[in-house]
This record gives sequence, structure tokens and C-alpha cells, in this order.
Amino acid sequence: MIEVVKQGLETSVQDWPGRLGYWNQGFPPSGPMDSWSFRLANVLVGNEPGAAGLECQYVGPTLKFRRGGVIAVTGADMQPKLDGTAIPMWESVAVTHGQTLELSFAKTGARGYIAVAGAVATEPWLGSRSTFHKAGVGGMDGHALQAGQVVPVGEGNGAVGRKIKDGAKPIIPADRRWSIEVVAGPNDDWIDAAGHRRFLNSDWKLSSKSDRTGFRLDGPDWTFTAKATNKAPEHGSEPSNIIDQGYPCGAINLAGQTPIILLNDGPSMGGFINPYTVPWGAFWKLGQSKPGDIFRFKTVSVEEAQALAHELREICSERSVVT
Amino acid sequence: MIYDKPRFLPGGDRYLLVEFGDEMNLELNFMGQSLAQAVADNGIGGVIETAPCFASMLVHYEPEEISFRDLETELMGLVGALGPAEDIELDSRLFYFPAVYCDPWTKGAVDDYRAKIADKEPDPEFVARLNGLKDVDQFVRVHSGTEYWVASLGFWPGLPFMMALDPRCRLTAPKYNPPRTWTPKGTVGMGGASTCIYPVATPGGYQIFGRTPVPIWDTEKRFPQFETSICLFRPGDRVKFVPCDLDLYQHVEAQVADGSYQYNVVEYQKFSVRNYQAWVDELDAGARF
Repeated sequence: MIEVVKQGLETSVQDWPGRLGYWNQGFPPSGPMDSWSFRLANVLVGNEPGAAGLECQYVGPTLKFRRGGVIAVTGADMQPKLDGTAIPMWESVAVTHGQTLELSFAKTGARGYIAVAGAVATEPWLGSRSTFHKAGVGGMDGHALQAGQVVPVGEGNGAVGRKIKDGAKPIIPADRRWSIEVVAGPNDDWIDAAGHRRFLNSDWKLSSKSDRTGFRLDGPDWTFTAKATNKAPEHGSEPSNIIDQGYPCGAINLAGQTPIILLNDGPSMGGFINPYTVPWGAFWKLGQSKPGDIFRFKTVSVEEAQALAHELREICSERSVVT
Repeated sequence: MIYDKPRFLPGGDRYLLVEFGDEMNLELNFMGQSLAQAVADNGIGGVIETAPCFASMLVHYEPEEISFRDLETELMGLVGALGPAEDIELDSRLFYFPAVYCDPWTKGAVDDYRAKIADKEPDPEFVARLNGLKDVDQFVRVHSGTEYWVASLGFWPGLPFMMALDPRCRLTAPKYNPPRTWTPKGTVGMGGASTCIYPVATPGGYQIFGRTPVPIWDTEKRFPQFETSICLFRPGDRVKFVPCDLDLYQHVEAQVADGSYQYNVVEYQKFSVRNYQAWVDELDAGARF
């Protein structure tokens, strides 16, 4: 059991790959935005890579352990301290009954992860413990943690002193410039050649109007093909309007002229085009970026995007641990 | 148009969008829903979920188990086996929903928008005028004169996107620009050719003109209809709005509050595209109620 002393800015229970199978009712997968760091934290404490843990956004929580155990902190550097003493990240650490873990603001990156041996044991909802804030389901009472709550933890036997190899950790760029993979489609034929060039050769700034639902990007205007400008009226009046369609999670959704990357808690359908899609293997970059960060996009094929996710799956395993 | 052969479009590393055409045509949604059913019945390995929409169907797959090309081949095989659209038959429940048209709550939300965000013609009058109807009374007759087909769910969990089945009741309306910041729970609205019910209070972009007291979303699962899901509807359901006055609204609202409300739903029917189309062909599509 873990007592929430301070809740942090937005600390939530998540598991990976989250709540799959309910997209046709409008439920998104939710889950950790940087599943690379999240899964490695679980591997360190001896859990399944996707077991439930905590995601901490920008400013981490203060937690008091009501039972001894083994934990690991990964992801953004939130300067973790145990009873006031700094503890290493990317390493399994012992905690004893009554000790307090304190995470502060993220020095680099945006989201920190805490795994605990035995995993967070809140009640699953539709097959997942992930929190979906917008609808108030999953996690602890459907929302981010609140001071005073007690988070249940399952039984587990983690080993202390297990570390992640240097080459196996995600690298958060110090200059806050990200190169992010995208796959063209499903609606890439609505954008003209100049529009594609502009998208791939421009800096896109992550807007502060961004959350787990979607990341808004500031950048140049888009230009369209005849498909967008000369179409049946039921599509809608804006060039980026299309007859309502299913949205891939990760779609770069063009609402008017503003691209919004639809994320873990995003909508399942709507009436705007998706010229590009960020593959799941690149989501961790979005999870670690902050408003003001600069994105550059580069296209990869479907197969290359799948290889990226496969490689991450391999990395998020015992293979990356040294003892 | 309806494409001769559906288009298979990639959405990143684990989604595939099947596009059947590029127009608002119920036949395309019937194809999407029956393909979703065929995928479920045939259990294609590696398919995690499908989401049919108006003219397309999204497939979420696990690339560790099936490649994009193999999935496309499997889906093409199922599309071929569906046969002609008129042979499609789908399980379809029919829900009767009491609804107050031109109610004080949506009027309040519209007035608030007009005062604070942008002035506009009140929504019922606006939709009536755009569709060449005589007045708001006729708009209510036309809007409530048809069964609505639940084409898909989305935008918010459980929110149904519905299309009028009776061609004499088809209406269109533009969306709000900019969107509304709030909409009362249970609001009935429309945008494009689609009608929806707002499951909870949310922002929104549809023209709004009515309200139902019957919950379509229930995290507490207080009614048996929510046993397997907190969302009431499934694609392929039908909804009939029954215009009611404020007294009946409040009566049902009280029944919902004390848990005694009985959902008025018919569960013995199949929707036959052939029978539907034969019926539509006999109607005078220019007629209005």
C-alpha cells in the first residue's frame, strides 16, 4: 500500500498497452505516454513489462510506503529522493515500511514513471487499470491521484540493484528538438505536394494547449489537393473536413489549419482528415516533450514503423538489465 | 461515390482504414458494419478491434501477428464474400426515447453561446429555415418522424452518430464555428446529416434543439442495459424519439433517479437492407411530414 502525501501535478495509474478492444464504443487505449521508460521500470522490479504503475507529469508526487518493497523510477529526471536522500533512476531500489519517496519537477523530459514490485493493484475496468481522466474511469476513482488516497499494491518479490544498460534508455534531447517518425496516411492524398514538403521541412512547436488527449502544433499553413477543395457537401465546408471516420491513435489530425496529434486518451472518430500518423514506436518522444519543444517529422514506411515498435519490445525486456 | 473496390489505407504501424466510398450513404455504413461482423465471426488472427463509421471501417491490428498486406488480403476476401449490399441483414435493437423538443435547457445553452461567444440564429429556427421547412413545429414533426440508425459511436465514449432512416426526414445542418463550450447532458443535436445524443455535459459543435432524460451512459451500471458496457448503444441499433412535454420529461427523470425506469427497447428485429431499400424506393423522397 502506498499513501499519497502530495499528489504532484498529474500522477495517474497506467498499464500497457492499456484498454484495447473498445474503440468502437469510443474508449481510447490510455496507458503510459512513454511506454519505453514505463516498461523498463516494470522490468527492473520483476513485473511484467505492461503491469500497472504510476505516470507522473511535469511535477512528481510524494508517496509514503506502508509496506516495504522494491521500486524503480525511470523516464523524466524528477530528482527522486527517499527520506531526503537522492536515489538513482533506472535502478531497482529497496524501500522499507514508512519511508517517503519524493519526486520534484522534471529537469529533463516531461513524464516520470514509478514501478513497484507486485504492481499497482487498483480495480481493472474493461480489462485495464489505465486511468482515462476525461470519462473518469480506470485508475484510482477514474482520475489522477489525490493527496490522502492509498494506492493498493500486489504481492511481489523484486531484486535490488538491477540497472538498465546505458544504450537501452531513451535519450531526451538537451536542445529540446525532436525528430519524430511518421507514416503517410490515411488521408495523405488530401494534401498537395507543397503541403507535404512544408510539413516535412518545417519546425513545429508544441503548443501549451496540449494534454493526454492531443498535442497541438504551431507551424506553417497547409495546402490541399482538389480532393479537399472540390468535394461532396456532406464532407463539410472546411478543406480539412471529411465524412466522419475512425481515427488511428497517433493520427496527426488537421482541424482547420491546426495539426493535433491524437494521443493515448484521444477521440476514436471525427470529421477531420489525418494526413499522417505517428507510429506507436515513436510515442515515447511525445510523452517526454514539453510545450515549446520543436518537432521535425520524417516519413518511414509501415514496415519500418512496425520494426521500430518491435525493437522497443525487445529492448523492454530482461535483455536490457545488468545486475 | 461508392468505390468498385474498397481502399485500404495505412494509419501508422497498427491501423488500417477501409474506405468504401466518399459520400454519406447508408449503404456504405451497412457494408462497414457487416464487414466488422464478418471480421468478428471469422476471427482474423492479429485483429484487435474494428470501428465502423459512416463510409469506412478502421481496423486496429497487432503487426507482430499479421502484416498490413496479409490483413488487406484477408479483408478483401471477406468483402468479396459479403455479397451484394442488399443481402445484408443486421441484428438491430429499437429504443424509444422520450424527448422534449425546444426545451428550456438547450435554449439556455444556445442563449449563453449567443451572448458570450457569437450571435447566431437560434438552432431550431436555423435548421428549419435551412431545410426549407415552414416553421419550428414542422421541424419537430420531421426530426421526430423517423427511426435513427446508429452508424457508429465515438467523439465521446458512447456518443451515437445516427442517420435518419426515413428519407422524408433527412435534414442537414452546419456545425458551430467556433464550437460551443458546453452542452447539457442528454441533449439531442445534429450536424451535417447526423443526429446525436450527448451522453454527458461536454463541449460540442452540433445544432441543438431537444433533450432526453434517458441515460445513454452509466458508469455506475444502475440499469441492466449497462451490465456489459457503460455505453447503451451498439452500432446497428435504432432510436425513435417520442416528443414529450416537460411533465413527462420530469416523470421519467424521477424514475431514472430512483432506479425504477424501464428502458423501452425492442429486441426481436433484424434489419434487412433489401426490405429497407424496397420501402425507400416506394416513398416520395420529396415529401415531408
